[in-house]
Amino acid sequence: MRLRLPAALLAIVGVALLAGPVLGQAQKGADTGKAPASTKGARAPHPNGKKGGILLAMHREDLAQGFSIHETATIATVWPSMPCFNNLVMFDPFKPVESLDTVIPDLAERWSWQDNYRNLVLFLRKNVKWHDGQPFTSKDVKYTFDMVRQAADAQTRLRINPRKDWYANVETIEAADPHTVIFHLKRPQPSLLMMLASGYSPVYPAHVPVAEFRSKCVGTGPFKLKEWRKGEYIEFTRNPDYWAPGRPYLDGIRYVIVKERGTRFAALQAGRLDISFPGEATKPIADQLKASGAKLNFTPVGTNVNDNLIMNIKKPPFDNVKVRRAISLAVDRRAYAKAVHQGGAVAGASMQPKPYGFWGLLEKDLARLPGYGKPEENKAEARKLLAEAGYGPQKRLQVEMGTRAIAIYVDFASFVINELKQVGIEATLKQVETAQWHPLVTRREYQMGANLTGLGIDDPDGNFYENFACGSPRNYTDYCDEQVMKMIDAQSQELDLKKRQPLVAQIQRKLEQDAARPIMGWRLDHFPMAPHVKNLVPHHNIYNYGRMQEVWLDK
Amino acid sequence: MSVVIFVLMRLAPGDIVDVLFAAAGYVNESDKQFLMKELGIDKPIWAQYVDWLRGLAAGDLGKSYRYDQSAWEVIGPLVPVTVELAALATIFSILFGVPAGILSAVRQDTTLDYVLRVVSLAGLSLPSFWLGMVIILGLVAWAGWIPAVTYVSPREDLAGHLVQFLLPAAAVGYRSSALLMRITRSAMLEVLREDYVRTAWAKGQNGRAVIWRHALKNAILPVVTVIGIEFAFLIGGLVVTETVFNLPGVARFLVEAILWRDYPIVQNLVLFIAVVVVLSNLLVDLLYGWLDPRVRYSS
Repeated sequence: MRLRLPAALLAIVGVALLAGPVLGQAQKGADTGKAPASTKGARAPHPNGKKGGILLAMHREDLAQGFSIHETATIATVWPSMPCFNNLVMFDPFKPVESLDTVIPDLAERWSWQDNYRNLVLFLRKNVKWHDGQPFTSKDVKYTFDMVRQAADAQTRLRINPRKDWYANVETIEAADPHTVIFHLKRPQPSLLMMLASGYSPVYPAHVPVAEFRSKCVGTGPFKLKEWRKGEYIEFTRNPDYWAPGRPYLDGIRYVIVKERGTRFAALQAGRLDISFPGEATKPIADQLKASGAKLNFTPVGTNVNDNLIMNIKKPPFDNVKVRRAISLAVDRRAYAKAVHQGGAVAGASMQPKPYGFWGLLEKDLARLPGYGKPEENKAEARKLLAEAGYGPQKRLQVEMGTRAIAIYVDFASFVINELKQVGIEATLKQVETAQWHPLVTRREYQMGANLTGLGIDDPDGNFYENFACGSPRNYTDYCDEQVMKMIDAQSQELDLKKRQPLVAQIQRKLEQDAARPIMGWRLDHFPMAPHVKNLVPHHNIYNYGRMQEVWLDK
Repeated sequence: MSVVIFVLMRLAPGDIVDVLFAAAGYVNESDKQFLMKELGIDKPIWAQYVDWLRGLAAGDLGKSYRYDQSAWEVIGPLVPVTVELAALATIFSILFGVPAGILSAVRQDTTLDYVLRVVSLAGLSLPSFWLGMVIILGLVAWAGWIPAVTYVSPREDLAGHLVQFLLPAAAVGYRSSALLMRITRSAMLEVLREDYVRTAWAKGQNGRAVIWRHALKNAILPVVTVIGIEFAFLIGGLVVTETVFNLPGVARFLVEAILWRDYPIVQNLVLFIAVVVVLSNLLVDLLYGWLDPRVRYSS
């Protein structure tokens, strides 16, 4: 041994001397190519954060459009795709209530509003790489958002584009230099940052054809796609070149697809899964899990998903606001939350109620709206309005209530039908298969419908323009009011939050009075997870906390 | 058969494009037309059928609309899962059903016979999906454990693989075994009353020889027929069991594909099931000849 050690040392020194110049050059090259990405605005690693482990996440169904978030509006795609991507900005993963104040840097390390909120200048991180090794630049940002807003000069086109309207106020996007991008707006719109922070707004690489995202995922995110076994699981592995220091903590994530709800929660209880799926753990399920003594932590959160009634405003009898208002008055919202959701929902108008949301109406305001006050008084008022519209015991109003042939929708519709009966409206249930529901609604071949709406962000712009604006493809009722449109535009460009809030409240009241799309209730989730899962903070919005960058396992 | 499958699928309202737009929450007619063209479903049905047959003849099963991937790549991994589950369930049903049927017939009108008949009646009455769910929920409640919810390859973990498959096989096999038990019992009762069996008893042959060699061999033909039918049925009928135990098999995927109107997947899976039915019937016919020389000689 004594003889071997000096020999080994000599050998190492010799090799080093011979290879020195070559290694030196290689190191220099590597330095240039692998310069650390800028980490401004990135959170310092958690002092107790442990590295390693695979997070086993529940997933309820296979991906609808692969990883192409921009082509879907379903949490089933957003949730398991988010770890692959980054946004320009994102919602602080540790703050459950989302607002402009909780928007933090992501691929943009900082930003600046200029020209009185007409130009949003974003300063991008340097030396960030796509999973295939290509550099990330402002061209990727321009490519992505020109594609989503369907700009005339966009390089490509999405085959399905549900969020085009989010960016209707963007005039142009300018890639000023490789690391600066400017969104030029037609008018001030501070909420643009909220939209950019949503899980629905990842940045795509310009060099990868958009069709490829239906089967693979090339992002800049903390995790790289390892394998997608169709109908079985989606597995990600740590991105070793991730720009945030010390992140991600996990070695990987496996989203296990379990179609049967009973099996999903049995697997969570048995430790086959670590975390639930957003919006899945309703109150009865959470109560059942707690009663069984399952070793799980529960976090009650809002979902930003509401149950609403849609009425075909273009056709009688719903072209008459009195009939619509009578229907809204007839349905007791608090009884709805108790009966249909066993207390797992809360009453609220068109914005998610407090404390889950920022913009929801106060209780005293809600009480004055149709369907929220005393049930008997509301029902009497409904009968009166129906009589004024020409309906009564002699001439009963008969309507058809359509909904998707899925238990949660049918329960909702059945409750409403029963409520309507109490004011003399005879409604019949028509169950429609999912594949037929949207075509039917889009063709306006329905009278009334029980519908669910998930909102990507808790901001009036993300809701009003999508669901209540004249001509929006997702405004299923065709409600169109010039005065309301002016109010929506006014609140959108209001820079002073104190002035914007009353405007938004006024719009909500008006929408409920007009029964534009009466909201029945806002769903709650009780997101269960194993105690060893750390740093995963469920938000009051199912779409925006799936990045998993900060999550670690204390095993 | 292929024409029926092809046409029936297209008679159902809606198509894959409707489903894709449903996931986006809106429908745009011009985008829809563009997408239909991209997927080739804007062509007349007969043209689509010819395209499919042409591909099939060349060994090309087409492309999944949903996954944008060759149908064979999607279907391939599912087939062994379902075949294995159906085979295990069939083996379970034979191992439990046939001996129980024989015992029940031999000990007719005894307590054992009554118990076995009640057990078989329960097997026929309880839906296998209910039994599967009870097994899962019972396990988690009493043992805090359930089998793996992702497919365990036998090459990686044989014990884990068997545990994963034996429980669903038992849940499904129980129903089939109940049917086999009843068929075996009635066939055995009929044969046990035959003159040649009485003669065998009279000659003083031991009980085992009379039952196994003389009685069962003659009573087994209807049982074999039922086994063949049950196996073929299981290939397509495991939907709920595969769903409850989260096994990535053909049946579960077929339902998904129907809901998604993923025609190439549905067509090929139904065709696969049809082929299994034909082959299992052929196997049963061959077994007839092997088990009963009279069938062999008459043909």
